[in-house]
Amino acid sequence: MTDHADIQAPGLKLGEAPPAVSESIERIFGAAVMGILCLITFANVLVRYFTNISFAFTEELSVALMVIGALVGTAAAFAGDRHIRLTFLVERMSIPKQRVLELFILAVCLALFGLLTWLATRYVWDEYRFEVLSPGLGIPQWRYTVALPVLSCLICLRILGRFVRVARTVGA
Amino acid sequence: MVAEGSFILLAGFFALLFIGMPLGVALGIAGVAVLAIEKLGIMAFPTNVWTGIAKYPLLALPVFIVAGMMFEKSGVAERLVRFAEACIGNRTGGLAIVAVIVCMVLGGISGSGPADAAAVAMVLAPSMLKQGYPRPYIASLTAAAGSTAILIPPSIAFIVYSVLVPGVSLNALFLGGLIPGVLAGLSLLFPAIWLAKKHGFGKPDPNVVRPPIWQTFKEAIWGLMAPIVILGGLRSGAFTPTEAAVVAVFYGLFVGVFIYRTLDMKKIYEVLAQSAEISAVVMIIIALASVFAHAGSTVGTFDAAAKTLISFTANETVMLLAITVILLIAGMLIDGVSIFLVFLPILLPIAKTYGWNLTWFGIIMTMNIAIGQFTPPMAVNLMVTCKVAGCTMESTVPWVLWFVLAMLCSLLLVTFVPEIALFLPRLMGDL
Repeated sequence: MTDHADIQAPGLKLGEAPPAVSESIERIFGAAVMGILCLITFANVLVRYFTNISFAFTEELSVALMVIGALVGTAAAFAGDRHIRLTFLVERMSIPKQRVLELFILAVCLALFGLLTWLATRYVWDEYRFEVLSPGLGIPQWRYTVALPVLSCLICLRILGRFVRVARTVGA
Repeated sequence: MVAEGSFILLAGFFALLFIGMPLGVALGIAGVAVLAIEKLGIMAFPTNVWTGIAKYPLLALPVFIVAGMMFEKSGVAERLVRFAEACIGNRTGGLAIVAVIVCMVLGGISGSGPADAAAVAMVLAPSMLKQGYPRPYIASLTAAAGSTAILIPPSIAFIVYSVLVPGVSLNALFLGGLIPGVLAGLSLLFPAIWLAKKHGFGKPDPNVVRPPIWQTFKEAIWGLMAPIVILGGLRSGAFTPTEAAVVAVFYGLFVGVFIYRTLDMKKIYEVLAQSAEISAVVMIIIALASVFAHAGSTVGTFDAAAKTLISFTANETVMLLAITVILLIAGMLIDGVSIFLVFLPILLPIAKTYGWNLTWFGIIMTMNIAIGQFTPPMAVNLMVTCKVAGCTMESTVPWVLWFVLAMLCSLLLVTFVPEIALFLPRLMGDL
């Protein structure tokens, strides 16, 4: 058992093709974010213990990185159907019916993250216009939050990709 | 507005959940629908997604996931099993005792049940099969014992609870979960040994050479030290939870690379990449659940739901039992962290009405969730261990129900004697 995301949510077995664009892009990115998070936090502990310098401003960076990591991982999990979901009832249906239902589900997911992309763009635009500054470092807040529309757009692409792959299995 | 909004929120969420919508999306859609229809301001959607997870205390979650995974990939489970075998020796049900104890120690390193259960099942299943333990028994026992991981600190469930419930200290939860977690684990030993004796399996094998205690101890000590590093660091006030987590990460890295020599660059990359996605899957639910929670509290759903529940019964005991039943059923259907996100907004007002201690309430909720993790038909832990042991979930029913019963007893004990959970944090001045 090497695939741990599998342990959390095994997903449905609909027999669709693997993603055309490899998920390893998100995996490498996610691993890098995790590695940096651990390093920053550990550096924080060391610096606090061995010097008097406060490193606390890194909190803001860590938090932003964590959100970025969460959104990137969400995209990969959509590509591989590894989000936590209740499949117990759906698995009682025939595979062709499951596939049609899955298309509906993916369409709803796409609608939600499409809306998020659009509204988050407005949200970031407002922060840019009103020159909102971050509480810790005092740099423009939009530099962090811009990750939200950009990465929810990535999530949309991953959902769309799986929609197309599942759609190809319908009637096949 | 309350009735209409609440109906859209709750009915919408459950309908989407049952047709198999990813949990986070079901919460998000229900929340956004209420925001739009009741004209509560749709910009709350992106705002809550961001602020829902952009919280410093939540950083402990991904870092503890990395720590648990780092130890698991470094092969700490095998070494703990060998040491436990050496200590317990060759006796009837001996391997079952080993399974429970190793699960509890691993629970002190990692904070998630399924990973813990899978690790122990993989190491122990071959030797347990050799001694005649039935496959469904192995799956049931390891699933049940693995569920103690979310009670024994560190625990992902407690991190999420402390982020969601202001004013509850994570240190108090971690410390408070220790005794109930150990109690829950030990209670499994009764059905485990009784079933082995009754059906005559797990008998001592004369061909097995008992491994030397000292040698296995030298290997296991590095793993045994991990819970002490984590809890000790937290306890002494030296570390915040996130710092304790990151110290555990680097301690695990050190042990894996220099002592056990099991971790190479490729494995470290795997650890980071997998933890990234596991944390992401949990955090996107938290983000979208905060939209759901915002919509629900603005429209007044949660207060109304709490009032309705209280109006059914004014009796505190009946209410506690009713909550237990609701959570057990929910625990059979969805995973632990999600239960907090869905049910806490409704249950917190009730807990406040009765003046319950919120640390204790978090602990019994988590115990409930732990039981749900191995109760069929939908049980995350059992799903994993069945895969490892090679049996169907249906076949585990006659075995697993005994373990459910045993852990229910310890849950009821903690429910009606709150001091079991609160004694340690009170002693240490965390309450």
